[in-house]
Amino acid sequence: MNNLIEVRNLTLTVPSSKGRVPVVDDLSFTIRQGEKLGLVGESGSGKSLTAFSLMRLIKEPVRIESGEILIGGVDVLKLGADQFREYRGSEIAMIYQDPMSALNPIMKIGDQIIESIQLHKKISKADAKKEAISLLASVGIPEPEERISSYPFEMSGGMLQRVVIAIALSGEPKVLIADEATTALDVTTQERVLDLLNRLALDRNLSILLITHDLGVAAQFSDRINVMYGGKLVEQGEIKDVFTNPYHPYTRALLNSRCDYTINVNEPIKSIAGQPPRPDNRPAGCVFAPRCEHAISLCTSEVPKLRELNKRNVACIRVEELLMVNK
Amino acid sequence: MVLCLLCPWIAPYDPYEIGAADPFLGPNRSNWFGTDDLGRDLLSRILYGGRITILVAIAATVIALIIGTAWGLAAGVRRGWLDEALMRTADATMAIPQILFGLVCISAVGASVVSLPIVVGFLLSPTTARMARSAVVTELSSQYVVAAQASGFTRTRLIWSEVMPNIAPQLLVQLSINAAAAVMLEATLSFIGLGIQPPNASWGTLMLQGYAKIWNTYWFVAFPALAVTITILAFNAYGERIRKNLDSRKSSVHE
Amino acid sequence: MSTRLISVNDLSREFKGSGGTVLALDSINLSVKEGTTLAVVGESGSGKTTAARLILGLDKPSKGSILVLGQELTSLNQTQMRPLRREIQVVQQDPFSQLNRRHTVMRIIEGPMLAFKVGDKESREKRVIELLEAVGLEREHLKRKPHELSGGQCQRVAIARALALDPKILILDEAVSALDVSVRAQVLNLLKKLQKERGLTYLFITHDLGVAHYMADEIVVMFRGRIVERGTRTEVFETPRHHYTAGLLASVPVADFNHDRGAISEFVAQAAPNKADTCAFRSRCSIGRNLSDCASKVLAETMGSATHGWLCHFPINR
Repeated sequence: MNNLIEVRNLTLTVPSSKGRVPVVDDLSFTIRQGEKLGLVGESGSGKSLTAFSLMRLIKEPVRIESGEILIGGVDVLKLGADQFREYRGSEIAMIYQDPMSALNPIMKIGDQIIESIQLHKKISKADAKKEAISLLASVGIPEPEERISSYPFEMSGGMLQRVVIAIALSGEPKVLIADEATTALDVTTQERVLDLLNRLALDRNLSILLITHDLGVAAQFSDRINVMYGGKLVEQGEIKDVFTNPYHPYTRALLNSRCDYTINVNEPIKSIAGQPPRPDNRPAGCVFAPRCEHAISLCTSEVPKLRELNKRNVACIRVEELLMVNK
Repeated sequence: MVLCLLCPWIAPYDPYEIGAADPFLGPNRSNWFGTDDLGRDLLSRILYGGRITILVAIAATVIALIIGTAWGLAAGVRRGWLDEALMRTADATMAIPQILFGLVCISAVGASVVSLPIVVGFLLSPTTARMARSAVVTELSSQYVVAAQASGFTRTRLIWSEVMPNIAPQLLVQLSINAAAAVMLEATLSFIGLGIQPPNASWGTLMLQGYAKIWNTYWFVAFPALAVTITILAFNAYGERIRKNLDSRKSSVHE
Repeated sequence: MSTRLISVNDLSREFKGSGGTVLALDSINLSVKEGTTLAVVGESGSGKTTAARLILGLDKPSKGSILVLGQELTSLNQTQMRPLRREIQVVQQDPFSQLNRRHTVMRIIEGPMLAFKVGDKESREKRVIELLEAVGLEREHLKRKPHELSGGQCQRVAIARALALDPKILILDEAVSALDVSVRAQVLNLLKKLQKERGLTYLFITHDLGVAHYMADEIVVMFRGRIVERGTRTEVFETPRHHYTAGLLASVPVADFNHDRGAISEFVAQAAPNKADTCAFRSRCSIGRNLSDCASKVLAETMGSATHGWLCHFPINR
């Protein structure tokens, strides 16, 4: 599998009373062809900003301070705005949480898809219409020839999200970023949409970066997982490995604090004390140290580097020790 | 710009010096703005006139605020047919050209320092009413209002202590917009003779007096006109600043 | 024998809209036992928020009765309802917008006391500090405004405010849905602790089955204005009888790889309901779709035990 996208040492900053402070800090990861990569984190982890960086949709006051984003081997951060526009939609596309606001309310959905198709391909309107119908069918919308003339307000949330996916696919991208794309949907609809994304990934050899705060969704959908906290990548690996045997204390604490129907109701949930750091208030050393029950004094002075261990990447200086202890 | 506003009140007054100098002098060293047809120093007349204009404008604005807010709140809180009735009235009032309406009202009650603010205030209130109404309707659908209702707040108390603080910023901005409009209206009405009557003078009146002689004694009209313009701009700028301040205070960057 | 603090009977609420009349609630019955938690589970359009508003007395039903602490809400006007408001409070979904952004934390928590003119400035201040500590906040938070706090902290303020008048009942309307996973855990723990300490009764409205499972003693599952299944937590989660309940349980993604979710249900996620059907779920039900009884036979609740009931002609058999 080759790497479609490679992010290297990406740092994003915002202004604060203490000067510019990082909201994404020295982030490096890859997205391989045909894989489903999950990105989990809580508020302030920087996960959404990472996605926006990939699409070069970062605007002041947020700034890309340093790092490279390689798409197909080319550092797109160094490209001019016009050159990068070629990439958007045809190499990499993005869908968001609220389908209603992503669509133009006064335009028929068919027209919106056609508009997107024609943006990337020089074909006639009639041909574009045919393609739009086939796209709608491939995202599971029944009776696409009729639906093509519907307006967004006539459709349900789940349907709209499918339309949004269709538009995203119209440029035939290699990577699709889904930023909390199922969060606003009912759980039954979410199931279907995730199913659809899965199918699309298989049929089209499409890579999907799924950003979510929902651990269950990440577990069900991803092949590999990135866990972010306070702007840093703390753990990365195959989903099943990471979730059944988390190496990083934050990953373990996060999994322990979840509330799904498998947990024990008679005990308090093992929550993490305190709150995530604000960008202008980041701790010295390991960003998770203040809340980590395994932190030692070295953790507050040394910033842990992302290291490889058993086919996983973890950013914790004590990880080997802790593994021994847990055995 | 803000200084210009305060100037007529604070700056040292030259008293009315009627006949102290030769009439129709252009701007010169002892009379910075020149003199008018009766030899009165124009600068002093502008300063005094400014005081009247601004006083009238502020009075009108306050009246507009009170009437407009009450109007808008009544409609927004009660909804139903009262809402419809009040808002249609507002629409109707706004549809009539302000000057015309003002003309009619003033002719009915007679022009004076008292009637002018009331009429102008009334003319400006519909816009405030619309704004107040939409603001109150938005706030009333918020979760904190539900919480307050559940906490046992009576309706009046709720509007006063919970909702008002949240719509106050918008009302303040409306205040400055209205002030600018009030200045304009007063000047216009006085200019056509239905505003402040001589020997009192507002900027509009001054312009009226100077208009007849405009070709030779341009300064008569120019300076009052300039004063009006600067004041209006000042009010607008002030309003902008208030709005920016409140916007940045209310929202904070989360992430 | 414990009392039912809330008792809703045959409650219906119609809304007249441009597209005709919508029956948001269709003759529902539910009750909550003192000191326990009833979870109302439903997705969008289920009517759960409408039910909450009715029980809080912020809306009037089209039909039916709502008994709160023995008082019939439909027979009270707003003034008569006021004293009752001291006993039943609400915590809503959005941490920030349920607090007045122009008020300080102190004023927010004091709010209910001011509304009922309780005590004097000093005694109120003391009580606010008491409440702050009970929800895990510090005195320094008193002077802050909502936008200076995190989501979890705001939610704690909302809880403190709800407890200001020492109510018996708390209605939690998606109260943890907008919170991060780890913060959610903290707030749920807090809610459980407060319930134990103060003997509170909770009506917990949520779309999240995991939260419902953790908090609830009893559950009702709502679909399109009707209660399609009710029971104890164990009954509903371990032996669901209604196809919708089973479908929901099967659809919820779980992070535990050791847990087997069971076969993914076959029901259709998107299908327009046929208004003529007696069962509102029929168009989505893999069984009911092919059965004429489900279209024409009137539904009545079947009780399998004293607590477990469902609204289905062909429930799942175990």
